[in-house]
Amino acid sequence: MKLNNLKYIAATFLVVIGLTSCDNDDVGVTVITPILDFSGTFVQEDQMGRPGINTVFSATPEIENDFNVTIPSEQGAAFQSLFETQLAGLHSAFGATYENNILNLDITTLTTLLASDVLQVAPDEPTTYFDGANVLTGRTLTDDVIDVSLILLFGGQTGDRFNGQDTNNDGTPDLPILVTDGVSAAGETPLSMFPYLEVPHGI
Amino acid sequence: MNRIKKAKLFIIGGLLSIGILLTAADHLDAPAVGGTTADITDFYAFEGANSDNTVLVANVQGLLAPGSTAEFDENILIEINIDNDGDLIEDLIIQAIPRNGIMYFFGPYAPTTTGLNSVINEDAQYLGQVKISKGTNAITSSFNGISYFAGLREDPFFFDSSQFNAIIGGMAPSGFNNPGNDDFDGTNVLSIVVEVPNALLGETFSHPAGTGVQVFNAWVEAKRKQ
Repeated sequence: MKLNNLKYIAATFLVVIGLTSCDNDDVGVTVITPILDFSGTFVQEDQMGRPGINTVFSATPEIENDFNVTIPSEQGAAFQSLFETQLAGLHSAFGATYENNILNLDITTLTTLLASDVLQVAPDEPTTYFDGANVLTGRTLTDDVIDVSLILLFGGQTGDRFNGQDTNNDGTPDLPILVTDGVSAAGETPLSMFPYLEVPHGI
Repeated sequence: MNRIKKAKLFIIGGLLSIGILLTAADHLDAPAVGGTTADITDFYAFEGANSDNTVLVANVQGLLAPGSTAEFDENILIEINIDNDGDLIEDLIIQAIPRNGIMYFFGPYAPTTTGLNSVINEDAQYLGQVKISKGTNAITSSFNGISYFAGLREDPFFFDSSQFNAIIGGMAPSGFNNPGNDDFDGTNVLSIVVEVPNALLGETFSHPAGTGVQVFNAWVEAKRKQ
């Protein structure tokens, strides 16, 4: 379908018949053709592939702004080392250092993978951020991307490194809970067919 | 000193100086764009009800309260990018931009130029349009096997972002709560949804994480008319 068709369709809906004013004896009919102007240059202000990358890894407002106007092919070189410093800093704030995660990725490899902020999508395999069997093959509306991200960042090799453990058995947790935010997709009930997203609240 | 106190001191000494404020998936991710009509909140890509199709969802302008009359901005182009060879440069794009209450779609098509600046090819092979939905009813359309939706929807994102903020602010040394609170419950978002036959989405390559799965890369950009 070419744009001419689109313009025609729009015109059939938007044809306006304008009558001249009352004090004019002449009755005129004017057809106003809608102008659909798609011209011009559009300049990038925001960019996103995976959830939470910029918000988690960019340590300052300046880095956040820069990240959004950097194309993916240049993000790795520009931001990987900053992201590694940030992830190390988040650990040191808890008196810890990063441990290789459940995918056995070291901190440099993980931040290299995540610094290029694109979402891998598998057209012929199950699509999920992580479902226990498939990893980073897409993102469904109910994937718990926060917990997956927290596990990859803070979970260590077991995935539950910081999960509120009582390490000295005194009945009180000694480690913080950092591998789950305690919110699941239970409250989300997307549709099974297009457009999949739920009706808005309060309409 | 037990671990909690130790952690708390480290939080106060460390994380506050790091000075980050986590928000959400991409909601309010940077001061230059946060809260504007160009603020992308989320991007989803998943297999459609028809398994030969992939669904691409780009959400903008999040945290809308019920009853919000927020609208898509006619100066903001939403562009879904697809990289078919793994070089992180778009080979195909799908563009969406509103005019007079209708969302117009261009693509997927191969852009003549890539990068931060875009133009719209009005003669792209695949074109579509759909009336923007403002209420409960989802108005959809379909052209060339591609389905289109644009309008207000419930924000499917879920996250206890306020507790995360408390953690990094040194106010929650024990971390998240169990259960946590979904700060996005009850909020709406402006959503663009396209369901595209995989045959129109181009080639695939081996997953960069080494899993061996065949994938393409995808991301979304918001671009303002100059």
